[in-house]
Amino acid sequence: MRHYKCMESTQFNTQILNHSDKLFRFAKSILRNVDAAQDAVQELILKLWEKKDQLDEVENLQAFTMRSMRNLCLDTIRQRRDEVEIPIEFEYIEPNPYHQVERKDLATRIRIMIDNLPELQRTIIRMRDVEEMEIAEIGYVMSLTENAVSVNLSRARQKIREQILNEQKRVEETIWN
Amino acid sequence: MELMNELLEKYFRGETSLEEERALKKYFLKGTVAAEHEIYRTMFEVFKHESNETANAPLKKVIPEQRKIKRVWFQTFAYSAVAASLFLLVWIQFPHATDDFAVIDGKKIESPEYVQRYTEIKLSKVNNILARSMEPMKSFNHVRQNMETLQNVRDIRNKMNSLQSKLQIK
Repeated sequence: MRHYKCMESTQFNTQILNHSDKLFRFAKSILRNVDAAQDAVQELILKLWEKKDQLDEVENLQAFTMRSMRNLCLDTIRQRRDEVEIPIEFEYIEPNPYHQVERKDLATRIRIMIDNLPELQRTIIRMRDVEEMEIAEIGYVMSLTENAVSVNLSRARQKIREQILNEQKRVEETIWN
Repeated sequence: MELMNELLEKYFRGETSLEEERALKKYFLKGTVAAEHEIYRTMFEVFKHESNETANAPLKKVIPEQRKIKRVWFQTFAYSAVAASLFLLVWIQFPHATDDFAVIDGKKIESPEYVQRYTEIKLSKVNNILARSMEPMKSFNHVRQNMETLQNVRDIRNKMNSLQSKLQIK
């Protein structure tokens, strides 16, 4: 006979609430909006609390939570596509002089470069380079094979590199001219 | 330098392990960075900065309501159990000195001999009352014996009737 243990609130706090910052960063990366990310995390935590009886069955709770977070964010994007989502085919637009003044430093520009990557690539690059997750774990969260994760990670990093090098070239040209 | 170049190329191809990537981060964030690598320093700083980002909203207040209710019930039960145990312990440890006494005619009697004698007299009276109450039973026995005689007469009559019918005496 299978015995279902009910996850206690202390356990819930340890295993899920303590990772709420990570969930927030993850949601923010997908939604590219702080308020929407906060709402998504609140919603997810409530949903998980309601289903806490079943959470003991989950092998890797953290990966499961991240996967649920992504699904919830994608649902949010589908519902508010016009308000939030930048089309999936959107590519990074080179900043004009006005934008250059507005975007003060390279760090801000790099953040924008990452945010402007397709959803799959920006999520993967942040899971790896910000959250330091294993490729297999990222694969589980994104429902991809490890190879597909590595390919997308490589593409994302290459794009960022290319844009940083272009940025550098432009700065140098501006100085010399 | 050569090693770092190789590691960076491997990194951009997405082939580095987590350990190698941590080494790269350490190089860019803590060590002296070669001029040719300086261009990538900001990228690693952005990753580091983002990893420290926290949610501003009070996310951790989502659950506590249910926890509090549960805890209050648990605490009430626990405190009641402890209080009851302490009371029992004190009560058992210090028995009351006035336990052995009897009340006779509204008076508190503490002498066991007196109470015993009083009880014997009362029980003797009860015995007498019961004996007197059983006296009517003697009359009942007498009536029953007479009834047995009547029973015998009926038996004899029955036998005579039976004999008469057999002998066909009219």
